[in-house]
Amino acid sequence: MAVSRLLKGLAIGAAAIGLMASPASAQDKTIKIGVIYDYSGPLAGGGSELQALGAKTIIDYYNEQGGVEGYKIEAIYADAQSKPDIAINEAVRLIEQEKVDMLLGFYSSAQCVPVSAKVDSLKKFMWITTCISPAVLKDRGLKYVFRPQVHGGMFGELSVEFLHANAKEKFGVDPADLRIAIIHEDGPYGSGVASGNEGKAEALGMKVVLNEGYAATASDLSALVTKLKRARPDVILHTGYNPDITLFFRQAKERGLKFKALIGHGAGYGVVDQLYDALGDDVDYIFNVDPVSIWLLDPKTLKPGLAAMTDMVGQKYLVAKPDTKTKSAHVGMAASNANVFFADVLPRAIKKYGGIDSEALRKAALETDIPVGGTLLGYGVKFPAPGTTNMDGQNAIASPVVMQYVQREVKIAWPKALQTIDPVMPLPKSSPYTK
Amino acid sequence: MMEIINEYVFSVFFVETLLNGLLYGGVLALLSLGLNLIFGVIDVVWICYAELVMLGMYTIYFMHVRYGIPLIPSSVICVLMVALLGYVLHRIIIAHVLGKAPINQLLATGGVLFFLQSIATLMFGVEFLSLGVSLGSFQLTEDIYLSKSQFVAFIVAAAAVAGMYFFLSRSYMGAAIRAISQDREIMILMGVDANRLYGITSAIGGGLAGLAACLLALQFDVHPFVGISFGPIVFMVCVMGGLGNLVGGFIAAFVFAELIAIGGYFADLEWGTVLAFCVFVITMFIRPEGLFARKS
Repeated sequence: MAVSRLLKGLAIGAAAIGLMASPASAQDKTIKIGVIYDYSGPLAGGGSELQALGAKTIIDYYNEQGGVEGYKIEAIYADAQSKPDIAINEAVRLIEQEKVDMLLGFYSSAQCVPVSAKVDSLKKFMWITTCISPAVLKDRGLKYVFRPQVHGGMFGELSVEFLHANAKEKFGVDPADLRIAIIHEDGPYGSGVASGNEGKAEALGMKVVLNEGYAATASDLSALVTKLKRARPDVILHTGYNPDITLFFRQAKERGLKFKALIGHGAGYGVVDQLYDALGDDVDYIFNVDPVSIWLLDPKTLKPGLAAMTDMVGQKYLVAKPDTKTKSAHVGMAASNANVFFADVLPRAIKKYGGIDSEALRKAALETDIPVGGTLLGYGVKFPAPGTTNMDGQNAIASPVVMQYVQREVKIAWPKALQTIDPVMPLPKSSPYTK
Repeated sequence: MMEIINEYVFSVFFVETLLNGLLYGGVLALLSLGLNLIFGVIDVVWICYAELVMLGMYTIYFMHVRYGIPLIPSSVICVLMVALLGYVLHRIIIAHVLGKAPINQLLATGGVLFFLQSIATLMFGVEFLSLGVSLGSFQLTEDIYLSKSQFVAFIVAAAAVAGMYFFLSRSYMGAAIRAISQDREIMILMGVDANRLYGITSAIGGGLAGLAACLLALQFDVHPFVGISFGPIVFMVCVMGGLGNLVGGFIAAFVFAELIAIGGYFADLEWGTVLAFCVFVITMFIRPEGLFARKS
């Protein structure tokens, strides 16, 4: 009797320990992610803070849903302070001291280039939501770094293709006679996009009359404006952060620079509210090449469930930034690219490759095969087999669009299949820059 | 060769470049004025000077855009506010490091720089804020335009240098400030309240930062890190002109700005800055005390 009571007691005790232990082990299943963006410094206001908001919204969403395949997401947010050296230090700190399983984020290409090499050498997985410079991945053979985002070369090529296709109809000239000027901030981001501009213009036999870089922190761009006036371009292709973009527009207006069209390429051009607040209606009819703003896509073209997620991201955006007048593409971009990881890559790593270590995440990422319409941004995601291209880890089927700003509204101008506006070119008489 | 010279030098665009340099020089001159005054009198370099300008830009933004106060009264409030900040900065920080090793003074004002950047980030956020005011430009010929806001900055800078010159040379307070800048110990022995003079000088220096802020706000967006674009270059202008020499700093600002403009016109934009810094380094070799330094 005493023995059976003892056994019963032991059984109850063991069950109690088991009950206590099982939730504890469930709690132990956590993926620790270092999230790095710029929350201070010039890049924060230039779009990085909005990108950070998009990524956080998705992380919070999955945690509210109970995590991913039993794993809670523990995000440790770090501020790169708009400085590459701080970005490297924070990445190393998160990996070595905070023992994160992987890194996610990164707005600035100037940070991405050194950080990706460092993280790869430490054999940690890195999921880039934003920075676009081709130099991050080109000819580097990185094993653990993946970027679902469109790369800068594609940005640069698309704007020139857009001009080539529309030169005759809109400007009444042969594409070869259109005078193009390329101006860009001289970091990896601006240089990468400008090289896409230049390469495509050369391939299509178009005339580049000026190609010049400048420091994004420059306090005076008047010499650049004077040179543009001398070169007399029809179209200006501009890649910049901010406040260099608004400085350029102000000095261009004050010094009487005229052109027929201006196409920006992401970053500062993606923060619509700030452009309009700083420059007023002068922003009207400016183009911007970027992944499409997720709020502009027709929900019917997306996989079921994604439209609801787009709405959710939009609502959280407005709660976090109640003064928003026009939703920036930046938030949706990071949300979409982060969502690809949590909805597709991470579940496969856990279920098929048994965990969240760098090898499992890498194998899962390499098997990503999302068709067009399968992401919030509309484009598909597929990474090339290692060694088959010169950009391992780069999404091969991503594509940007050309958008045009008209009275604070964002319209899709190109490609034709997605058009919500017939592109307005050349600039109408109402613009102070009209040639 | 002659074709290139004709195309680049005998061109309206070169004339515009020279004018651009002149106007940008006005901006740098205005910024260097207060920093030079403070160094000349108190012998402490305010590394955080550009951050005072940043706070001034926020002041005028909030006064004009958020509270709807017209631009001129907003500018007056801005100048007074930054003058007060300059005085407070002196009383709280600078007064305690006077006479200490220069490195300690640099570290103290450097600390203030990071403090002000961080506090501005916390208080105002990271967004770029714009005054939304454009003064437009003068069109001199078909191709040559002059920015009105930069022209105003140029005129104000020239007037401020002239005003400071007359204040220092003709007024009783100016004479006192000059006297203490020449010999700190003797003046105290003669019963002069040095702290009061230093406080007044700091307030004037702050007021000049506020004046610069009013004019910069017409040309640039304000954000917590706007000082990065100006701080280092203004400091170099002051050193090149001879730290503490108001007229030297004024002339050096135009030399610096013209070098940047001309270099940027003939080569890529960044070469202009390279040229200016090369001249700066050579100047430091030849005259380490600056081009127009006072004789000690």
